[in-house]
Amino acid sequence: MQRWIASLAVFALLLSAAATGAGAQGAAIKIGVPVPLSGGNAKMGDDIAKAATLAVEEWNAKGGVLGRKLEIVSFDDACDAQQSVTAAHKLIDAGVVAVAGGYCSSAAIPASAVYHDAGVAFVADASSNPKLTDQGFENVFRVIGRDDQQGPYAAGFMMKTLKAKRIAIIHDNTVYAKGLADATRAALQGKPGVQVVFFDAVTPGEKDFSAILTKVKSLNPEATYYTGYYPEGGLIAKQFKELGISGKFLAGDANNDPTFIKEAGSASEGVFVTSTPLPQDQSTAKAFIERYKKRWNQDPGPYSALEYDAVNVVIDAIRRAKSVDRAAIIKAIAATKNYRGATGTISFDKKGDRTSVLYITYVIKDGKFVPYGAS
Amino acid sequence: MQVALQQLVNGLTVGAFYALIALGYTMVYGIIRLINFAHGDIYAVGAFVGLSLYGLLAALRIQNPILTTLLALVVSMGFTGLLGVLLYRVAYRPLLHARLSILISAIGGSLTLEYGLFLIYSPSFLVYPHLFGRAGPSFGSVDVSWLQVVIFVSGLVLMAALYLLVHRTKIGMAMRALAINQDAARLMGVDVDRVIALTFFLGSVLAAFAGVLTGLYYSQISFLMGFLIGLKAFTAAVLGGIGNIPGAVLGGFLLGILEGLAAGYFSSRWKDVVAFAILIIILVVRPRGLLGERVVERM
Amino acid sequence: MNALNGPPLSRSRAALAGAVALAALALPVLGTPYLVDVGTQVLVYVMLGLGLNVVVGYAGLLDLGYAAFFAIGAYTTALLMVQYHVAFWATLPVAALFTAISGVVIGAPTLRMRSDYLAIVTLGFGEIVRIAATNFTFTGGPEGIYGIPHPTIGEFVLRSPRAMYFLAMAFALLVLAGSYNLARSRLGRAWLAIREDETAAQAVGIYPVYFKLMAYILGAVFAGAAGSFFAVKLTAINPSSFTFIQSVTILMVIILGGMGSLPGVILGAAVIVILPEALRGFDRYRMLAFGIGLIILMLLRPQGLWPSRIGQIERRAVALSEASAAAGRAVDTASTPE
Repeated sequence: MQRWIASLAVFALLLSAAATGAGAQGAAIKIGVPVPLSGGNAKMGDDIAKAATLAVEEWNAKGGVLGRKLEIVSFDDACDAQQSVTAAHKLIDAGVVAVAGGYCSSAAIPASAVYHDAGVAFVADASSNPKLTDQGFENVFRVIGRDDQQGPYAAGFMMKTLKAKRIAIIHDNTVYAKGLADATRAALQGKPGVQVVFFDAVTPGEKDFSAILTKVKSLNPEATYYTGYYPEGGLIAKQFKELGISGKFLAGDANNDPTFIKEAGSASEGVFVTSTPLPQDQSTAKAFIERYKKRWNQDPGPYSALEYDAVNVVIDAIRRAKSVDRAAIIKAIAATKNYRGATGTISFDKKGDRTSVLYITYVIKDGKFVPYGAS
Repeated sequence: MQVALQQLVNGLTVGAFYALIALGYTMVYGIIRLINFAHGDIYAVGAFVGLSLYGLLAALRIQNPILTTLLALVVSMGFTGLLGVLLYRVAYRPLLHARLSILISAIGGSLTLEYGLFLIYSPSFLVYPHLFGRAGPSFGSVDVSWLQVVIFVSGLVLMAALYLLVHRTKIGMAMRALAINQDAARLMGVDVDRVIALTFFLGSVLAAFAGVLTGLYYSQISFLMGFLIGLKAFTAAVLGGIGNIPGAVLGGFLLGILEGLAAGYFSSRWKDVVAFAILIIILVVRPRGLLGERVVERM
Repeated sequence: MNALNGPPLSRSRAALAGAVALAALALPVLGTPYLVDVGTQVLVYVMLGLGLNVVVGYAGLLDLGYAAFFAIGAYTTALLMVQYHVAFWATLPVAALFTAISGVVIGAPTLRMRSDYLAIVTLGFGEIVRIAATNFTFTGGPEGIYGIPHPTIGEFVLRSPRAMYFLAMAFALLVLAGSYNLARSRLGRAWLAIREDETAAQAVGIYPVYFKLMAYILGAVFAGAAGSFFAVKLTAINPSSFTFIQSVTILMVIILGGMGSLPGVILGAAVIVILPEALRGFDRYRMLAFGIGLIILMLLRPQGLWPSRIGQIERRAVALSEASAAAGRAVDTASTPE
């Protein structure tokens, strides 16, 4: 009996704790930032949340916007469809005027429908799957490029610069990786003399890829393109070299993290990574990097600058709209023209995609990402 | 043919890791009928403790790769073994007679270990020192590294030692008696609690050994590294006949080879489907696994 | 089998049941959309928990791949609505049919197996379904299916969190009524007999294979209904919602609540959904706190939050008979160690 009362009390406490998290309207203007803070992508989420905080702190130091302070409200979406929908509802409840964040496309796509129904702007920082903006929601934007822009770029680099004819493509069966792999294959198909000799996926979370790579080796590819994320990417690059597979190894933009080089060790030398320019190679981002390092005592992550821009695009829209009305903010974001951010100038097309996204190729040299051709 | 041999070598390496972890599942299951969901995370803890040791030794300027590796292995195995006992004492012992509740407690233990590592170490991947290269004997065009040989041989030695311990010593006899009937064993004067604790200790020691070798061989560790391999090792234990030590070893190697062949000759995307489908077929034909005996069993 | 069937409710239980019912009614009126969404999630896990309860709680078959049926229901509804523009309501019987068939497919070969071997086979089945959904193109691959329309009643579109809550409530009540009646039916009594002693049940003319198969089929159909709802609630589904972790979460619902007990399932679902949400304040420590919380909950209430009354009596009897059964096992295996 006593136990019962005790567990009833615990239960009531849980309910009230869940309830108090919501509501509480302050005077500050709230911007929602959903990111993975648990699970395998937690590091990326942490980097992104820190960039968002930095952006808001800078504005607050200047006195805020429209005479009000800004505030970041961040919730864990664990890169999971179900949890991202709950996080979306919670952000809307918390009274956010717009949302800037997200990492995994698989979480961003279901959440975008919730933001759409609530009429809240959603500026994605790192979700590159084409379907996010192809849904036709007027409230959805992204500051990163689309996988079907990077795919053709990577295909062109392999065919023209590397003169590769036999090409192997490996993805990891996640939304992002499969999208990029499909886009790359589509761009290669039908090109005279070019052949996709291998197209298959690894399982994220595994460590031994020698079985799949042994098969790749027997096909003698001239270029092998890995489109998944860096945790497996570093291992694959290492095992690729150890098995002595012919041709060049390339990886997609989710591998432009220094951990990739640490994991692969010396095997990373000469690996190509297709990517949008990293912050350190953009004159526009220099100031951002310095401020980020000063504030957090660490280097920004690969998506920190994009998130910084996403938050600033929202703030810029609030200033132009002179209002925190959600619909007015959506309109103002859509009207963004040549906003000068850390990752370059930002404008959106009708779908909400960023116009004129530039891709370049990095080559790993002496343990660093160096723009290819810029010796 | 050479490709097939290379795939066999690949499969044996992965299989050695499966087998070492499967032993922990099978011993615990054999004695207290618990699927210890936290066992994969015990393996992860072993890898992280090993990494800390390398860091400590490097700070002390002890550089000999063989010496540091031995020290890292011993300390990690000891620490992780004790952690396994602690887990048993705190989370499992009070629930030994609640067969399903103990499963939830095991899941709670798994999350606690995973996110303990997440907080203490890093949400990101950590990288082991690159101590041993890829050099090794070569058979035709089939490449084998010395590290692979070491993993394979030392794994087999440990497994054999475990087998001897269980079948040739007094404490082993107590473990076997416990597996058959706890109450009867207690009546015969077996210290049940101590024997179960020892089982957890041994299983965790083997997992820690696998954890440190994983770090050395693949060079990358993360707080979630135990989940997937734990699932596979559990599958391997059932495949061989759960509760059976040679069965766990056989199951581990078999699963590793099956996956290698499925990825090599069919498709990497479907390899887990192939592995599970074969598992189901084997269990339909032999409902107690490859080496499992027929025993009367209650749910 | 279930508290409602046993002796009169104790006062504290009645008070708790009343409080839960009141909260469920007050939530859509007073709650914010977020709280209503959390409530909807609780209801989804109530449906799933009740379905798995048929398999594990009633028939005593451990299932670690239950999310597979959830997935089949969700994909059936999603595909029919997106590709063939079928109305939501019309997809329900099809989803029920497909999940029932898959219940037979996994049930038939495994019925001879006992407990933990069954657990791994169901685990394998769950993984096969998820990987197949990831690899096939007609299921949309890893992207899954998106743009699933909202269900409509006449001209009214069920779109708001509140409308989804009421739809979930309707589903959950139907499943609850089904479970309640099943426990009392001929089927329910046969499951009880098989669970407690298969040999004895067989001796009195209960054919275990048929009844076990029925448990699988009914459990699968319940999960399929939950899946159909899940598809229209999220409007986008992908394989990552149907992992092994999902299966384990559903199992946690019924064990936390108290095996075989309907109020227990409801309570278990509430804890599984609300606990991680309530712990959001812990930020980086959230999952650690959740893990420790699970251990503490089990240590404090090893039989679950709301164990079934008859179950408690049964368990005592089982504990008594376990000693004699174990003694028999020792004789059987005396010659074969391990």
